[in-house]
Amino acid sequence: MDCISTPVATADTRPRLTARLAALPRGDASLFRLLFGAALLALALGLAGGFVTALARARALNLFGDDAYRVLTLHGVSVFFYWLYLIQAALLLVLAAAENGRGLALRPLAWLGAALMLAGFAASEWISAIGTPLLYDGSPELAVDDPRSVGVFALGYLLLSAGLAAAAVSGIATLLQPRRRGEAEAFSAIGFALFAWAGFLIVSAIAATNAFLPGLLWALGAGPFPADHGTEWHILFHNLHYLPLMATVLVWYVLTQHLTGVTSIHGARLSKIVFAAYLVFVPPTSLYHMFLEPNLSESVRVVGSLLSLFVSVPTLAAFAIIVSSLEASARARGATGLFGWMKGLPWRNPAMANMGWAVVNMLVGITFAFVLIQEKLAPMLSDTFFVPGYFHFFAVGVLTQTFLAALMVILPALGGGALWRPDLLRRMPALVTLGLLIFGTAGIAAGVMGVPRRVFDVGYGGMAPAAWPVLMALVGVGATLFAVALSVSVYGVVRTLLSRRAPATAESRRVDWTDGQRGVGAVPAWTGPLSVAVLIATMYVATIVAFEIIQSLPIVAIGGGHGH
Amino acid sequence: MSERHVTTRRGFIAALGFSAVSLYGAWAAYGAAPLPFGGHKGAAASEPDAHDGHGGGHGGHGAAEAPAEPAGHAGHGAAAGMTPEEFRSAHDAFVERFTQKDGSADPHAAVEAHAHGGHGHAGAGHDHASMGAAMVAAAEPVDVYLMAQKFAYSPDVLRLKAGQPYRFRMMADDITHGASIQLGSASRIIRLRPNVVTEQTITFTKPGAYLVYCTVYCGPAHDAMQGRIVVG
Amino acid sequence: MKMTEELWLVVAIAAVWAALAAVYALVPSLGMPGYVRVWGGGAALFLLLAAVLAAAGWTARRG
Ligand code: HEM
Ligand SMILES: [Cu+2]
Repeated sequence: MDCISTPVATADTRPRLTARLAALPRGDASLFRLLFGAALLALALGLAGGFVTALARARALNLFGDDAYRVLTLHGVSVFFYWLYLIQAALLLVLAAAENGRGLALRPLAWLGAALMLAGFAASEWISAIGTPLLYDGSPELAVDDPRSVGVFALGYLLLSAGLAAAAVSGIATLLQPRRRGEAEAFSAIGFALFAWAGFLIVSAIAATNAFLPGLLWALGAGPFPADHGTEWHILFHNLHYLPLMATVLVWYVLTQHLTGVTSIHGARLSKIVFAAYLVFVPPTSLYHMFLEPNLSESVRVVGSLLSLFVSVPTLAAFAIIVSSLEASARARGATGLFGWMKGLPWRNPAMANMGWAVVNMLVGITFAFVLIQEKLAPMLSDTFFVPGYFHFFAVGVLTQTFLAALMVILPALGGGALWRPDLLRRMPALVTLGLLIFGTAGIAAGVMGVPRRVFDVGYGGMAPAAWPVLMALVGVGATLFAVALSVSVYGVVRTLLSRRAPATAESRRVDWTDGQRGVGAVPAWTGPLSVAVLIATMYVATIVAFEIIQSLPIVAIGGGHGH
Repeated sequence: MSERHVTTRRGFIAALGFSAVSLYGAWAAYGAAPLPFGGHKGAAASEPDAHDGHGGGHGGHGAAEAPAEPAGHAGHGAAAGMTPEEFRSAHDAFVERFTQKDGSADPHAAVEAHAHGGHGHAGAGHDHASMGAAMVAAAEPVDVYLMAQKFAYSPDVLRLKAGQPYRFRMMADDITHGASIQLGSASRIIRLRPNVVTEQTITFTKPGAYLVYCTVYCGPAHDAMQGRIVVG
Repeated sequence: MKMTEELWLVVAIAAVWAALAAVYALVPSLGMPGYVRVWGGGAALFLLLAAVLAAAGWTARRG
């Protein structure tokens, strides 16, 4: 099976994505635009909150106590829950409808889902603005004397999950329609990925219910105090950051195919296995969030660390599939030089630029994620600014930029308007990445030194190391850069959503690698393996540095958990 | 039809997916590899996180489920499961016994240095006996109690000695907190769940004044939650 | 009935999740009953999806 070779890259014989989107029924398009608009609103609110938070942490803004934590709550809730889940629901429905070619099945259910999610959005924003600040994890113990805050906060997430589940069911029904009609025997790779992703969304809704229903019941006086919220939250949280990563890779597939015409040269089956692998690897890799829990037994800790090594398998495999398919197709068309093939990619298209930089951010993010999965390093890094320092590479650099890239392709096709100022938009991702590098480097260094997350004044009355406030000021500088650049991208996308101009005459040119000459894959494609080699090398360096630091501390400590 | 180059074959692509697992090698080099093969624990001598000496542990929530032992017994045994009630009374006794005039707690203070007069109850008295015994044998860890609550630690200043092992028993009294120790180039983070007694045996190898601070958001004054360990 | 690759991939997901849920259910000392509910629920869901997938193909072949 390894020596199968295809004379040409398998081309998608269907009309381009944009053409299929433009042909969707009117009613569906309104639903999609509503969901996209709501998602962008959540993103805009969240960006404002994140920016203020960063300035407050840098001490450029004098914000303290409940006010500061309210802003942080608004940031996390808006951006991590409502932006990421509204946009995922919308993308699932749009892409499923485009796969089907005839619009949504179970349309009323999709509308119901949207209504529930929007109700949840309103409830969550309202209680975050006026209630006891609970941060985005809504831990009930923070408001034992304020059941209203706990209850409404939980209700918001429960509505969101219910809506997500309803939308996912509609998505699944939509994907199955061609098959029920006997028009298709199997899914395309993307169809299967959408199907698995929809299932995963429903599982996350189960996890959210498991975590937040007890809080709502307690607030209503119908249940005991949810003392175990911490553990249940970890389960949900692990789902919640795996899920958008799977969505991201799926969008990369869709956009690559749309922008270059190239589909995997390794066949749909391998892609299907990789997408299924996301789901297979989720539950076993979840334990690393709990390394600091005093109740976690040592054996679970050790097994958890080991299993977490597999956390990146599907993502790296998908990365290798996409990059090797592109490189091999370009080389079949005569591209030369080690990286010369990349020049052929449509970089002038802002969607391509966002996606390309998202890949860079992913490699940086994975490097540091792997320092965190080692249980022996958890006592140095968990609960510090290391965590937000590295995960914004994912949250902003990978996920947000990828979803914005999708919107840059989808919105003009749905609404008929043209993308707002593509020449400006395509320059933003490099700036966002630069800002993230400053934010991330300073933040990770601060975290290693022990700067806690979720603390606004890190001076500790003069007891803290002098470097702490300096590093946090640098965090503020990086944040300002990526906040501004990202806001430009978001503004461009919103303008595109709202524009009602006549359809653009010339659709963005795409490179055409579909009709390559003979022998796709006959020459080496080194970009994938080289990037992975660099990734592993940096992971080694980061891990070794962390071990050296922890071993140099003037302390010997035995026993992580409590004495059993 | 031409053969494919190895870098564009399916097996190779799948193998790339698994490549990050090779980080196991770095873990093994530091004795932090969870599996028996590769790496020896000896390499990690300064980070012995393993639960040595706590053999035959019972799984599960030992602290909550441990049979109530008579107060004062909890301590030097191998199975140190302590109930929250035992912790609270031992903590109170510790504070009462060792608080100095300046408000700091010094577990090495002689009985006479005690600010207040007599000792309250029998249970505490029993505890004192075992603490005293620990001080005699230098290798034996000395018990130290630290309680976290909104938004302070009790005691909030501890006076300890370099090179002496201390058995830190820590617990959050109300909601989840952290009790992290800033050690210069990095910190040691500890997460404390309410009513779960966390135990670590800690030896400071260098004198100095170390900041103790809360690393779990616990309310509006979370930033202000701090204490100090002065190692002489 | 033909077991397509899609079908067995979905079944494999359900199987892994069910196994994990079973471990947490059978070893209560691991102390995470939430795992049983979430991954167990997920396993049931993916079994259901497998059934739906099989049924869709079957409907098509009949109709
Ligand atoms: C303008 C862009 C952004 C800025 C300046 C920003 C800044 C920050 C800062 C400084 C923190 C640290 C708070 C702390 O622990 O003290 C934070 C937390 C966080 N950010 Fe962002 N962020 C931005 C965008 C995003 C986006 C797009 C996402 C997700 C899609 C995101 C997700 C999060 C999450 C989940 C937290 C943790 C919240 C918590 O600990 O309660 N951020 N952000
Ligand atoms: Cu605290």
